[in-house]
Amino acid sequence: MNICSCVVHTRPERSSEVRARLMEIPGVEIHGGESAGKLVVTVEDTAETQAADTLGAIGGVEGVINTVLIYHYGGEDIEQSIPEEGHP
Amino acid sequence: MKVTRREFIKSQAAVAAAAAAGVTLPVSTTAIAAEGDEGLRWDKAPCRFCGTGCSVLVGVKDDKVVASQGDPDAPVNRGLNCIKGYFLPKIMYGKDRLTQPLLRKADGKFDKNGKFEPVTWDEAFDVMAEKWKVALAKDMEDNKGKPVDQMTSRVGMFGSGQWTVWEGYAASKLMKAGLRSNNLDPNARHCMASAVGGFMRAFGIDEPMGCYDDLEHADAFVLWGANMAEMHPILWSRLTDTRLTKEGCEVHVLSTYEHRCFELADNPIVFQPQTDLAILNYIANYIIQNKAYNEEFVKDHVNFQTATTDIGYGLRPEHPLEQKAKNSGVGKKLPSSFEEFAKQVEPYTLEYTSKLSGVPKKNLERLAKTYADPNKKVSSYWTMGFNQHTRGVWVNGNLYNVHLLMGKISEPGNSPFSLTGQPSACGTAREVGTFCHRLPADLVVKKPEHRAFSEKVWKLPEGTLNGKVGYHAVLMHRMMKDGKMNTYWQMCNNNMQAAANINEEAYPGWRNPDCFVTVSDPYPTVSAQAADLILPTAMWTEKEGAYGNAERRTQFWREQVPAPGESKSDLWQIMEFAKRFKMEEVWSEDLLAKAPEYQGKTLYEVLYENGQVNKFPFEGQVTDEAGNAYRNHESADFGFYAQKGLFEEYRLFNSAPDIIKKGHEMAEFDAYHKTRGLRWPVIDGKETLWRFRGGYDPHVEGDQKVVQFYGNKDGRANIIFAPYEPAAESPDKEFDLWLCTGRVLEHWHSGSMTRRVPELYRAVPDAVIYMNKKDAKKRKLRDGQVAKIATRRGEITAQVETRGRNRPPEGLVFVPWFDASRLVNKLTLDATDPLSKETDYKKCACKVAKA
Repeated sequence: MNICSCVVHTRPERSSEVRARLMEIPGVEIHGGESAGKLVVTVEDTAETQAADTLGAIGGVEGVINTVLIYHYGGEDIEQSIPEEGHP
Repeated sequence: MKVTRREFIKSQAAVAAAAAAGVTLPVSTTAIAAEGDEGLRWDKAPCRFCGTGCSVLVGVKDDKVVASQGDPDAPVNRGLNCIKGYFLPKIMYGKDRLTQPLLRKADGKFDKNGKFEPVTWDEAFDVMAEKWKVALAKDMEDNKGKPVDQMTSRVGMFGSGQWTVWEGYAASKLMKAGLRSNNLDPNARHCMASAVGGFMRAFGIDEPMGCYDDLEHADAFVLWGANMAEMHPILWSRLTDTRLTKEGCEVHVLSTYEHRCFELADNPIVFQPQTDLAILNYIANYIIQNKAYNEEFVKDHVNFQTATTDIGYGLRPEHPLEQKAKNSGVGKKLPSSFEEFAKQVEPYTLEYTSKLSGVPKKNLERLAKTYADPNKKVSSYWTMGFNQHTRGVWVNGNLYNVHLLMGKISEPGNSPFSLTGQPSACGTAREVGTFCHRLPADLVVKKPEHRAFSEKVWKLPEGTLNGKVGYHAVLMHRMMKDGKMNTYWQMCNNNMQAAANINEEAYPGWRNPDCFVTVSDPYPTVSAQAADLILPTAMWTEKEGAYGNAERRTQFWREQVPAPGESKSDLWQIMEFAKRFKMEEVWSEDLLAKAPEYQGKTLYEVLYENGQVNKFPFEGQVTDEAGNAYRNHESADFGFYAQKGLFEEYRLFNSAPDIIKKGHEMAEFDAYHKTRGLRWPVIDGKETLWRFRGGYDPHVEGDQKVVQFYGNKDGRANIIFAPYEPAAESPDKEFDLWLCTGRVLEHWHSGSMTRRVPELYRAVPDAVIYMNKKDAKKRKLRDGQVAKIATRRGEITAQVETRGRNRPPEGLVFVPWFDASRLVNKLTLDATDPLSKETDYKKCACKVAKA
């Protein structure tokens, strides 16, 4: 299971249209950064897509100037919930 | 609120990205992230790949690296990461990791033509040591009665700019102090040797005077044979930021083909291969003709010299090109003057240079004007385009000439800067004495006073160290083929894929029955498969390490996870191997008579239990400031803190009061575990950003107007004239195209690690022939069609690509070398710079036809 985050640079005035385009890609979530033209994006594997390929696809989306990767998680045990009383 | 790990990790990822971008996130996201931790232990480590030296945070769970993040506290990358760095942890978990030693055997014993069988470390080292002892006995016979500066050796080791600092240091000590052999050379010979030569000839001391901070200070950037967008993406993103945010900032990109950097280029320049020498002389001429040079700087800080010319191409002596050269291999510099230099560059007019290089006059003029403008701060960057060049040392020097004429050097933004390709080409390969002519801290084997000092530090009797320069990387293969070097230990690189002219020089040497070849690697690379013995290696964060990057920054990391199976680090292998030798087997009787206390001891005891290396006890674990505990498999085995002992002994070469060459000072071992690296010279715990200038460099007294190039005795730098001379092999009627080789973003060097990361493999699975559309059409080739590419030395097949990221001009093709199933180095010529001995991988003649 891969979960990644990246910063996607756009021209600020085009942020919202780029945001809309990115939202259509499976496994992509946008967490903020629109006003600065720096979208904070997480990408995860879905049943049909791999996070790495999705990252590649983001680079080709119209209005994207640059994509910078920040974080990657590749562990297996992702589905368990965190025990409420403490850390796993 | 009940949060799943998935949601939690996602919010962590988002928060990290937001922090790097300087963006505020809604409370709903940050609240989840603040809820707990991911159950990971986070610690810093420099990236395993290029010479940029980005720091990454490594997240470990259950003895496995499961997460990584650009290190927000790292001055180099400021929380960012490139695609290779991003999938970094996955390089350790390739499906075909080697986990035990493998020896070629038939009928239960070693056989050069046998099949690989698993063996124990004991058996592996027994067989290996036996072969080395035979060669060493011959050495002692060959060297009887010879003075030390005529000693030869039949044992050899091929090291790495990916070795940790202490691995390189321990290897240097094993070969030079222990086995009295200077046949130790790093793969940095293939990438940095020309840069080293350039530094030493101009400044008398190695490595750049500036640092990455120049990326924010410069008004203009000039790329000379460096595809930073793909090879140094994080530095490229810093450069891009400056270009897009600083008024008037401009970018000049020079290359023999268009690549991704051209997208940002204000002045794109594609020149004919080898004519960079002429372009630089034209700029020098322009500066002088227009009286733009900094007269005061030149008067006070510069000497003029001229290079010996017609020096050949570093091929075998019987090669017609060497026979024809008047001064084959001669590096002597002759005294000169400003007036003479001005006369020498005079023929390099705009007219002449434009015609020779194929570059339009207006582009050349714009470039020259940028350098000549006293109000523009210029930073120049180069990598393999300059270094892998039969006149690599010259072309490095010609660029320094331009910067020195203008006095644009050693201050923020004015910076000729040699980028490196490997994580520790500087920190290890160049600094600890792994080149065949060097000892630690820029000392050289040829100088008796340098040997004497090293013997004192290493507690060796006088006359131990061999004073004859050993075999360099390319010469090693020739000597193996000729049967003059009989053992070869390759560590931490992949020379059977990386060396030029594999068919004619490398492979015949490795498979010569008179040679025994050991390869230490985590994976069954092309090299491993061509070896006689394969040793499984612990890599990157499976050991405690230190790297030194291109801006002189030394960075440490701790052992994060155990290595698979029986894998051990190169450090363990080097030190453990030394236990196999009694001093009587490696030193002659007369030498040993000078040190009776060493008689009957093992080499391991003399080198590593010398009271210095074994000085620091090992407490069973390494603890960080937060109290987290880490293993250290070598120290656990040897019973002392090996990394610390080796580093502190190394500091006796660069930081003790009696050192020969100042300027390489480093902080104490423990300091580096607490910082994101320090740039040497480190004096009183403070790093140095710009060298040779008062106010920045503690070795120079006075303010920022004071410049002192203290690497040279007279405190001056050398402007050395060197002319344009043609390449070793140029296209002709039959082989009608230039062949240039190089790298791609997704793969690191020979691809032995990155091709094992599924995501990276999928992104770029095969090497292709990047080619101009017109050239393809002439050969009736279509995009995607398989073609045969051949030189006088061999041929391979690959797909043609005319629309890709690299767009060559007519007359040139580019083929990357990462692809083990298409070894482009079967095609390349082993022509080297006669001064640096670095191979020119960028220029030979080839033909392409339908397969």
